[in-house]
Amino acid sequence: MRFTITREKLQEGLAAVTPVVPNKTTLPVLANLLVQTTEKGIRISGTDLDIAVSTEITADVEAAGGITIPARKLSEIARELPAAPVRISATGDQRITLECGRAKFKLLGLPKTEFPSFPAVRFEKALKIGSGDLQRLISHTAFAASTEESRPILNGVLWEIRNDLMRMVATNGHRLAKMEIPVSGGQKAEHIIPPKALEQIKRLFPAEEQLEVGVGENHLGFRSPFTSVFTRLIEGPYPGYDQVIPKDNDKHAILDRAAFTSALRRMSVVASDQTHRIRLSFNSGMLKFAVSTPDLGEAQDELPIRYEGDPLDIGFNANYLLEMLRFMPTEEVRMTFRAPERATTLEPEGWSDPAKYLCLLMPLRLAD
Amino acid sequence: MSPVGSTARARVAILPADVADRIAAGEVVERPASVVKELVENALDAGAMAIDVEIRDGGRALIRVSDDGLGMPEEDARLAIARHATSKIRDAEDLVGVGSFGFRGEALPAIGSVSHLRIETATEDGAGVAVAVSGGTLVGVTPIARRRGTTVSVEALFYNTPARQKFLRGARSEWRAIVELMGTLALVRRDVRFRLVHDGKEQWQLPAAASLRARLGPLWGGEVAERLVAVDDVQGVIHVAGLIERPTDVGSTSRQVLVLVNGRAVRDVGIVRAAEAAYKSTIPAGTRPSLVLEVTLPGREVDVNVHPAKAEVRFVDRWTVERAVERAVRRALGTEEAIASVGAMPRPEMPQALFGTPLPVEVLRQAVPSAPAPLFEPEASSPDAAEDGGRPPAPTAAPAADPDLIVPPLIQVHRTYIAFERGDALVLIDQHSAHERVLYERFMGALERGDAPAQRLLFPLTLHLSPAEAEAFEGHRALFAGLGFDAEAFGGNSVLVHAVPNPHPRFDAERCLRETLAALTGDRLPSTIARHERLAATVACKAAVKAGDLLAPEEMRALFLALARTTLPAHDVHGRATILQLTWDELDRRFGRT
Ligand SMILES: Nc1ncnc2c1ncn2[C@@H]1O[C@H](COP(=O)(O)OP(=O)(O)O)[C@@H](O)[C@H]1O
Ligand SMILES: [Mg+2]
Repeated sequence: MRFTITREKLQEGLAAVTPVVPNKTTLPVLANLLVQTTEKGIRISGTDLDIAVSTEITADVEAAGGITIPARKLSEIARELPAAPVRISATGDQRITLECGRAKFKLLGLPKTEFPSFPAVRFEKALKIGSGDLQRLISHTAFAASTEESRPILNGVLWEIRNDLMRMVATNGHRLAKMEIPVSGGQKAEHIIPPKALEQIKRLFPAEEQLEVGVGENHLGFRSPFTSVFTRLIEGPYPGYDQVIPKDNDKHAILDRAAFTSALRRMSVVASDQTHRIRLSFNSGMLKFAVSTPDLGEAQDELPIRYEGDPLDIGFNANYLLEMLRFMPTEEVRMTFRAPERATTLEPEGWSDPAKYLCLLMPLRLAD
Repeated sequence: MSPVGSTARARVAILPADVADRIAAGEVVERPASVVKELVENALDAGAMAIDVEIRDGGRALIRVSDDGLGMPEEDARLAIARHATSKIRDAEDLVGVGSFGFRGEALPAIGSVSHLRIETATEDGAGVAVAVSGGTLVGVTPIARRRGTTVSVEALFYNTPARQKFLRGARSEWRAIVELMGTLALVRRDVRFRLVHDGKEQWQLPAAASLRARLGPLWGGEVAERLVAVDDVQGVIHVAGLIERPTDVGSTSRQVLVLVNGRAVRDVGIVRAAEAAYKSTIPAGTRPSLVLEVTLPGREVDVNVHPAKAEVRFVDRWTVERAVERAVRRALGTEEAIASVGAMPRPEMPQALFGTPLPVEVLRQAVPSAPAPLFEPEASSPDAAEDGGRPPAPTAAPAADPDLIVPPLIQVHRTYIAFERGDALVLIDQHSAHERVLYERFMGALERGDAPAQRLLFPLTLHLSPAEAEAFEGHRALFAGLGFDAEAFGGNSVLVHAVPNPHPRFDAERCLRETLAALTGDRLPSTIARHERLAATVACKAAVKAGDLLAPEEMRALFLALARTTLPAHDVHGRATILQLTWDELDRRFGRT
């Protein structure tokens, strides 16, 4: 194998793939990148066995072949190279030589046959979607997934595809985020995807790109003309989220997002750093905040709001509320309630977007 | 322990009949592992410092034990295969306080009667002798040349007793038994180099080890061995030493238990029970600690000749021995007030001994004032964060500032301790114990004020309990509610949980509740502690981060601040130390700088 590549192209390819290379691994070849020549250049691939990323970059190939190269060392070298073409060649299936200007490196790789093969994912009847739509779904929902390890399903994000829409849902059992975007020509499917993979997808594909989504036994593949991401899927079934979304909440409040956010942040200062509990009292025209934390202190605040319904006192984890507010796309948000122990909803108010966005929050018990 | 017969060789002689009769009867040779045991013990008795054991086909094809011990002259070698020939005791008086492994003179004849046995031996480098026995018949004595020592080969074990052969398990299971046995022998005689080979592959090679911990490393895994707590205590004439599992680790790896009495591995339920009693409430009911305990007492206090496999012992005063074991383990765990004096005892192989004393509250407050840690950054508030940023940081508010508290730079070590520098010392906080203390005080406060925050769940948990657990739940229902667990009975022994406390982001409510209920049902000790305190302590223990949990910098910081605000930061709920320190003076001394 022998090829010449620009320093910039090499850096670009490495930047795309190295983030998935695991820092610690018991399988030595995973610390390496698979580099193979193609018709137009080279393909660089890396995997941690959960996620695999592969990208093709242009290069001048003199002799076809493939080898695996230590990922960290190659990236460090690429970062320090002078601005000159980089010539990489392999002799046998382990020895790699890299030359750039007058600099010359010899590295020891591993045979390409040791590199795990990519999951079998079929792209024949692939779904085609806009990368931008996918990014919006990911960034509005993935934050709500659980990071606690006892229920692996909740560590994933549910991606539902229907004939006319696609939807993502994530929850940690205390709060939930759900977004829907209209699409055309979808084929009904459900997948539970690890957020780590979604992060790579969001990072790797430009918003304007069209993506193909291929399905395998336990894997999904996302690909654009040059780059592919494969991910392991989490086995379902995902909990029936639809049943817990309240349909009969009879109290409504419209709040200014920025003002609500700053009041919550002020109150958080004296909220317990363990539970972040805060009391909200909704009355017509006014929302009152109260925090009281033993050994720490108390705080109160008020915010004019629009509110319809009987007065309501309800407790929340202020952090959960703040986090949801960050992702609300409008200046005003709408909250609905039924009772102090029932689910609260949070939605954008006056949003002209064809997409739909809903967050759900379970209250904290108040002491009285 | 000094190997018997390492100085001068006693000649082999046939035991008088009455002595032979007083020796516990029974077959020594029941499976390959028992043959290995007899042969290796013989080698040790002969003063060997290096022993090679080679096994083929789980010991059914070949067992070969080579040693560099004293060897035997020709007539001894011939005599050794006669029944009740032994060089180790001469009369009944010798049986009391026997100091060597074998003493009945029946192993070699028994083995020789059911296999092709060959003994090659020499008392000096050069001229030796080979004695071969087949099915109990002497088939040849030939002069050979070899190094000093003895090689005993046992081929085709049980070839002439098909009934016994039938009872052998598969080669793998026989091999496992041999590995376990060799592990035990290797722990007993740490001064001896051992090598174990199966079907041409080396299982392990253990150089002579300076300490029990060093030898345990290659056998149990270095990390496991490092985490064990050293025991070393003297009570009257009884010395108890060894290594035991930390309460927080119990149940995390498969349990291993080894009890040595005067250097001999024994199966003694009483001693194990005494050791376990010392763990008391520090581990969940039903889990049992791994331990290696060496009990040393005068030979007259103990009779090893109880069982033919020599695994049981009879103590003249069992009660006193068991109490000594219990006390030694309790001291090592620090559940007694005597922590400081334990630290002062000479325990060269135990790093914990460096940090004798639990620290006063003030340690946290006096933490290095020089380099303040970067304050945890509250999340960015840019309105379009959702569109540009990656995953938002985990929800954590900036902890409220405490005017007297400057948090020093903290690092996590061994995923178990939080280390930092204080004026004149390196200080270590045990993350689990510390968190346990923090949560315990929070839970107690919440119970007293009745304001525990209970996070409602989107998807209620259904727990199917055993009748005993369901009863424990019913009995403590109001207290559970006080801690933030809102639950209702749900037919049969199931409960439906609607709300749970949320003391920290990695809290697993279901597991905590289950483990707490299991602990409550296993808890049959009459207790003087009030029920609510006990429940708060149990839930705190189950809810706290564990040793082995990787902590993010802001989590360590939050724990540090929370611990500093507790009323008893230096002790966990079991009374053990949460904070220990190593002073610069101590360090300098260790490095020989003074
Ligand atoms: N590896 C050895 N090196 C030296 N002498 C040995 C060895 N194995 C056995 N012998 C001698 O043979 C005798 C008989 O051994 P054995 O039948 O195992 O009886 P015991 O060990 O109970 O005395 C021992 O007492 C010892 O003198
Ligand atoms: Mg013997």
